[in-house]
Amino acid sequence: MQKLLLRIDKISTFVGQAFSWLIVALTFMITWEVFSRYALDHPHSWAFDVMIIMYGTLFMMAGAYTLAKSGHVRGDVLYGFFHPRTQATIDLILYILFFIPGVFALTYAGYFFAAESLAIRETSNITAEGPPIYPFKMILPLAGIFLLAQGIVEIIRCVICIRQGAWPSREEDVQEVDVDKLKEMVHVKDEDIARLDAFVAPKGSSK
Amino acid sequence: MKIRKELWFGFTLMAIILAAVLFYTPWAGFVDGHLGHDDLGALGLLMLALIVVAIMLGFPTAFTLMGMGVFFGWLAYRSVNPALANQQILDLMVQRAYSVMSNDVLIAIPLFVFMGYLVERANLIEKLFRSLHLSLARVPGALAVATIVTCAIFATATGIVGAVVTLMGLLALPAMLRAGYSVQLSAGAITAGGCLGILIPPSVLLIVYGATAGVSVVKLYAGAFFPGVMLAALYVLYVIVVAKLKPHLAPPLSESERQVPLPPLSEQLSGRHRNALAGLFGALRDPVPGLAKGSVFGQLLVTLLPAISITVLLVLMYGGATAPPVAVDTSGLVQAGGGIVAEETAAPMSGLQEPPGEGADSGGLKEPEPEGAASAAAAATPAPKAEAATPPSATASATPARPRVPAPTWFWITFAIGVGSLVLISWMMNWQRLEIFKMLLTSFFPLAVMIIAVLGSIVFGLATPTEAAAVGGFGGVVLAGVYRYIAARQTPGGHPIRKTLVDLGGIIKESSFLTAKTSAMVCWLFVGSSIFSASFALLGGQEIIERWVLSLGLTTVQFMILSQFIIFILGWPLEWTEIIVIFMPIFIPLLAKFGVDPLFFGLLVALNLQTAFLSPPVAMAAFYLKGVSPRHVTLNQIFAGMMPFMGIQVIAIILLYVFPQIGLWLPQLLYK
Repeated sequence: MQKLLLRIDKISTFVGQAFSWLIVALTFMITWEVFSRYALDHPHSWAFDVMIIMYGTLFMMAGAYTLAKSGHVRGDVLYGFFHPRTQATIDLILYILFFIPGVFALTYAGYFFAAESLAIRETSNITAEGPPIYPFKMILPLAGIFLLAQGIVEIIRCVICIRQGAWPSREEDVQEVDVDKLKEMVHVKDEDIARLDAFVAPKGSSK
Repeated sequence: MKIRKELWFGFTLMAIILAAVLFYTPWAGFVDGHLGHDDLGALGLLMLALIVVAIMLGFPTAFTLMGMGVFFGWLAYRSVNPALANQQILDLMVQRAYSVMSNDVLIAIPLFVFMGYLVERANLIEKLFRSLHLSLARVPGALAVATIVTCAIFATATGIVGAVVTLMGLLALPAMLRAGYSVQLSAGAITAGGCLGILIPPSVLLIVYGATAGVSVVKLYAGAFFPGVMLAALYVLYVIVVAKLKPHLAPPLSESERQVPLPPLSEQLSGRHRNALAGLFGALRDPVPGLAKGSVFGQLLVTLLPAISITVLLVLMYGGATAPPVAVDTSGLVQAGGGIVAEETAAPMSGLQEPPGEGADSGGLKEPEPEGAASAAAAATPAPKAEAATPPSATASATPARPRVPAPTWFWITFAIGVGSLVLISWMMNWQRLEIFKMLLTSFFPLAVMIIAVLGSIVFGLATPTEAAAVGGFGGVVLAGVYRYIAARQTPGGHPIRKTLVDLGGIIKESSFLTAKTSAMVCWLFVGSSIFSASFALLGGQEIIERWVLSLGLTTVQFMILSQFIIFILGWPLEWTEIIVIFMPIFIPLLAKFGVDPLFFGLLVALNLQTAFLSPPVAMAAFYLKGVSPRHVTLNQIFAGMMPFMGIQVIAIILLYVFPQIGLWLPQLLYK
């Protein structure tokens, strides 16, 4: 079971990370476009469409990845104080109540949305000769499927947690605030911080 | 099981909300399967209450919103026509999701976030803090002031509160504690300073607000600049006053801490002349044995940099000020720059509760921007005008024929100030200051230039926020590369260029992964909330709230105080993303009823949400700081340190409310 969980986690992560490179492409593309417009006086009519497509694809496809790394914002007021079992129970109920119906509906609706677009070979109407937009619309159900798969994994995680009383492990990933890495970056060691206590303690403010 | 106080409080709150919900739910309507208009409205409020409960339970908010939106939207459709309900809700959902996917305002978010991660990893904060605290050594409370300034600049460029607070906790806190600063003051300066990044543009918060409220991000950026600077200035002022009144809380730096070790060249020359400029000139005229003339010349060039830049600026200003008056034909510019955007913004925007006219408003605003920028530039700062006026060929052809106008008085005043400061700088430039200046040159100025370039090009209409963000991201790559190269050259072993490239690759990879996660978080929240708010509007919940608020008979001032107070309270349990994305759609339509400018409201909200990071017990900033501070620094001390700064934030909000021109002056000047 654990293996299957990690397998799906890995797939979500791989997909999310693969698509996350779009941000680099997007940055360079827009920079080039700005340069091309102002310096070379040669703007491209498709640039805007491509920008939007890259952005939309980027965040949609990263949805499952973010879920796998529990990166979606959640209200932390009470949640953090709960026992893992309580956390898992609440999550389990809400995954079934909100997540599955919501994401399923999105995927289902997205499928027909994209299918219609494909049937008419829809192109973007932002400029006169816009690029085809139907592949972009297909991203919607595709991202939904990945998200749904990841959601099922999370549900299984909840069940395991309820049984065992502790959250099953997740794969490591880059953290927004990775304290150890930041410490290394500015050359601060734990001993240095510990030594600082000397300046704090004499003030009589220790616990 | 020992339950904490917070849990009891939370549960009580939830129980109250749920009880109210149960009481007001139109059960009768469910029983006979017929929901009237008022029943639906009650359902809308029920939905709002439930969402608060569900968010407090801690489920990922995006999916809570999505699931609830679908269910309640379906109920709303079903009450009208049960046969069509399924299809309608699916259509609504997919349209809303797609409108977020193709949103031309939100696209700037990943780009700015990417830029932030890159700058954070460029690793220049250490240098930045050191050079700033040396250059501010004479100011009372120098270290705390330097901390706030560093935070403000670094947070502006990165926008990541957690990282800034952690880094400053690692760098500034030890420095301040060692210098004998009180724990409270140090902690307060770090946490308050670190949060400035969400207010001072280019900030993601303002983009999210702009997309939600249908306010032009460009105007928000122009508007938030001065309130942000004002808040930072108030912090600095507070620290200086405290340091003056109670020196034991922030003792001045000792003489040895102010000294900078001089490099051999300066060491040698400093014996001959106190002034660096004179010394270097002297060394060029009659060479010192053992000193390469080239390096002396290089030093001289660096020393002369301020003089050179002031001269260039003055010359450019003169050129701009005396340029013949030209009716600037901006049509070319609009086509080149704003055309695509102007069309776009008018097209489907965020799709969140936009009051009618707002979308069109912001769309229309993009268009006059270049014009406004050009005319404003002609009036105030001619430097950008030269750039702004280049594309249209009409200007270029018209220029040579007309005579130059005499320079106006303001130019001569600026000229005098420029020359005066030039003399002052040259006179003050001793060897110590030269060293500090060189440090600033490698840490402070690159960041400042980058921020000013990004902001300036947005505010003056040269680029859309998206483009500026992308170019800023590119600048971030360059910055990270250069700093890593410098670092790689200083550490022995390995080829510096290869090492830099490997490093840079790692940085870009990490940054893009983080960007993907952060933008997925924000944008999926948008997907969820746009479905949610559509259902809320369908149920008529908005209408009920509006009717209720209007029935209270509030004056505008009372309404503003109430709304800001609610946002302040919401900042306690929720994050700013949730507050803006979920609750702004409820507030925004009310603004028109009270005659409040959504732009102004946005600035107040941005200022207000600063407190969300500092208000215990969920103050993220405090926990980040606690994570890297010595064992004996308690959370209570950190909270106590944050309190005065929270007070300053409240004062800043009041100031902004009483003098709206602080925020509205710049946008009005530029986009009228």
